Amino acid sequence: MLTWAGIICQNGLCITPCHHGREFIYLGGMVVTKSRQVSLRNKSILGLENMTVAEMELVLDTAKEMKNIIDRDIKKVPTLRGKSIINLFFEPSTRTRTSFELAGKYLGADVVNITTSASSVVKGESLRDTLMTVEAMGVDVIVMRHQAEGAAHYAANTVSPLIINAGDGAHEHPTQGLLDMFTIKQYKGNLQGLKIAIIGDILHSRVARSNIWGLKKMGADIHIAGPQTLLPRFIEQTGIHVHNRVEDALEAADVVNVLRIQLERQKKGLFPSAREYARIFGINQVRLALAKPDALIMHPGPMNRGLEIAPDVAYSEKSAIQEQVKNGLAIRMALLFLVLMGGKNIETIA
Amino acid sequence: MKLLLKAGRIINPVNNTDEIGDILIMDGKIAEIGPELSCEGAAVYQASGLVIAPGLIDMHVHLREPGLEAKEDIASGTRAAAAGGFTTIACMPNTKPVVDNSILVSGILQRAEDEGVVRVKVIGALSKGQEGKELAEVGDMVYAGAVAISDDGHYVDNAELLLNGLEYLARFDSPIISHAEDEALAGDGFMHEGAVSAMLGIKGRPAVAEDIAVARDILLAEYTGGSVHIAHVSSKGAVELIRQAKKRGVRVTAEVTPHHLALTDDVVATFDTATKVNPPLRSADHLEALLAGLKDGTIDAIACDHAPHAFEEKDREYRFAPSGFAGLETSLGVILTKLYHTGKFTLNEIIERMTAAPARILKLNSGKLEVGVPADLTIIDPDYEWIVDSKRFYTRGKHTPFDGMKLKGKAVATIVNGNLIMQNGEVHE
Ligand SMILES: [Zn+2]
Repeated sequence: MLTWAGIICQNGLCITPCHHGREFIYLGGMVVTKSRQVSLRNKSILGLENMTVAEMELVLDTAKEMKNIIDRDIKKVPTLRGKSIINLFFEPSTRTRTSFELAGKYLGADVVNITTSASSVVKGESLRDTLMTVEAMGVDVIVMRHQAEGAAHYAANTVSPLIINAGDGAHEHPTQGLLDMFTIKQYKGNLQGLKIAIIGDILHSRVARSNIWGLKKMGADIHIAGPQTLLPRFIEQTGIHVHNRVEDALEAADVVNVLRIQLERQKKGLFPSAREYARIFGINQVRLALAKPDALIMHPGPMNRGLEIAPDVAYSEKSAIQEQVKNGLAIRMALLFLVLMGGKNIETIA
Repeated sequence: MKLLLKAGRIINPVNNTDEIGDILIMDGKIAEIGPELSCEGAAVYQASGLVIAPGLIDMHVHLREPGLEAKEDIASGTRAAAAGGFTTIACMPNTKPVVDNSILVSGILQRAEDEGVVRVKVIGALSKGQEGKELAEVGDMVYAGAVAISDDGHYVDNAELLLNGLEYLARFDSPIISHAEDEALAGDGFMHEGAVSAMLGIKGRPAVAEDIAVARDILLAEYTGGSVHIAHVSSKGAVELIRQAKKRGVRVTAEVTPHHLALTDDVVATFDTATKVNPPLRSADHLEALLAGLKDGTIDAIACDHAPHAFEEKDREYRFAPSGFAGLETSLGVILTKLYHTGKFTLNEIIERMTAAPARILKLNSGKLEVGVPADLTIIDPDYEWIVDSKRFYTRGKHTPFDGMKLKGKAVATIVNGNLIMQNGEVHE
């Protein structure tokens, strides 16, 4: 399965999609690295349900390299020069859109944003026509956020540019799933056997679903908890543990991933009040004491401090919430690089 | 015009017979049934190796005319019926405008006479505009020829409306057909609620929404002595409720669709809008209960709920696509493949549920083979293997979850009123 790839590295920067650091061999300006024969080149990223463990590991390893670029003074590399990426957002999202935009720009690609208010969607144009218009403009990648589950799948079946799903309804948010995995790995070394508690509104959460798909494949032990009204019925059939007492999920957890609660759910009668939610299901220091002493706290953002998470938890030394944002950028750089370049053409990194 | 069907396997579920013989058709009627018939000047149809059945009846079809002709019209829908082996179809009133008065009933019957190729029966709306508020002129519609009354497409949320409808219609001896799914529980869902919906993040239409609705409909039928027919039963709870009600003597009948008997909710995972339908495709435990219910007579009839939509309406996000798909041209093939060739049902049982049973529910003088009745017959090759190709459909609705599927069994000829209107898949003008 292992092949050898020769890479010219002129300025000490080398992006390889697939190496483990210790496998590097330096030969007088030439870096030789082992590369796996798994590739994401020309693949759309629709969800972690469809990704193999090898593919996910490839992304995580590549993101490690990308993170080095983010930390440099001059962040721009010309790897994706001449490639164009469009952020097609049918739902407002400053965070994810900005993250993809910077990811593309750091790698030298041209990035254009289209959001609902600016697009022709308001005029009643069909998704097919919007996609075909974007396709006709010759873009290489469409990063798409849409309120309807399966919209990214529809796009991938409809037009030729590669699709990266930036969230489709309550279905999947694969880059968030990958960045959460990357963050856990960063602090815990690996994912196998970790007890991971996901707390809050699982029912409406694409973050939760991508986490469940990805982490399950990586061998983690997943426990979800929240008000019963916000847990999908029958989800236990997928082999995860379901609790309506948050405390049961937190017990000896290695990781606590707290999801955002949207207040409109309260209006639909799914829980009685924000006050009651915070009191019974919110993550505070007292509840957190049930988890392992070195438990990691995560949140996909944006947070409702004092509702699903207490401020002293969000800003504690156990919190990886800021790091998640940085890792999100690295993951998105890695994905754009992998689907467009596939780990070949590495000489274009001057 | 004389037509002699030679050496076919004649299956007549009304008297449970299954034997080789000939059928002579004269002047649009069955003139003789027996062995080795002959008749001077008759056209001969060689039916050896084929099944001759009473003309198939589908009691749940959306012809979409008037007003929704981008989806279907009487001309295209009746041709689809002929291609699928159906000689009689009953059309639902959720058109634009809604068929809620006798003029519209008469108008559709007239247009079907002019432009249709199979027999069309009309189902009138229960409430004016299908708005679920005021009772429509149901008696007048029955007098104009409506064979049943229904607000199909919507559940009759207002129990008092259904109660009044059942009592009022007792005088006219016409059943109310119910699309039974509680709106508050199922209204904003768009697939079966189960393990698949849990991981797709799609809001579910829980089976209990159907169970509750069926229970209420049964209780009202029992209370009024009226007759209710449950359309497209899809949940195991509903099957059990109907089974118990029939034991108590409640006047309840039921139908099931080929898609609910053949497919489960995991086909939704592709987000193919051709899998979106109400009630939704459910999990395997429900499918098994439907098969058992159809076998033991709890469910009377098979009806396909032919619900075509224009291509562009279905070509969109799963959430926003309309529910329903074409069914007339795949119905028999799916049923024979999944019920007959699996050994679960005999041909006689299948044909009974596609002919005599709907005729009994709608009180039609068809669904049987006997001398003197109008010659509506379907000739079936139960072993014919074919692949579903929606591009070749007569219906305008090109979406079907069976597209590309290999099926075994097909109608090879359709005879309406003594006329051979379809042969080998081709509908004659
Ligand atoms: Zn219906």
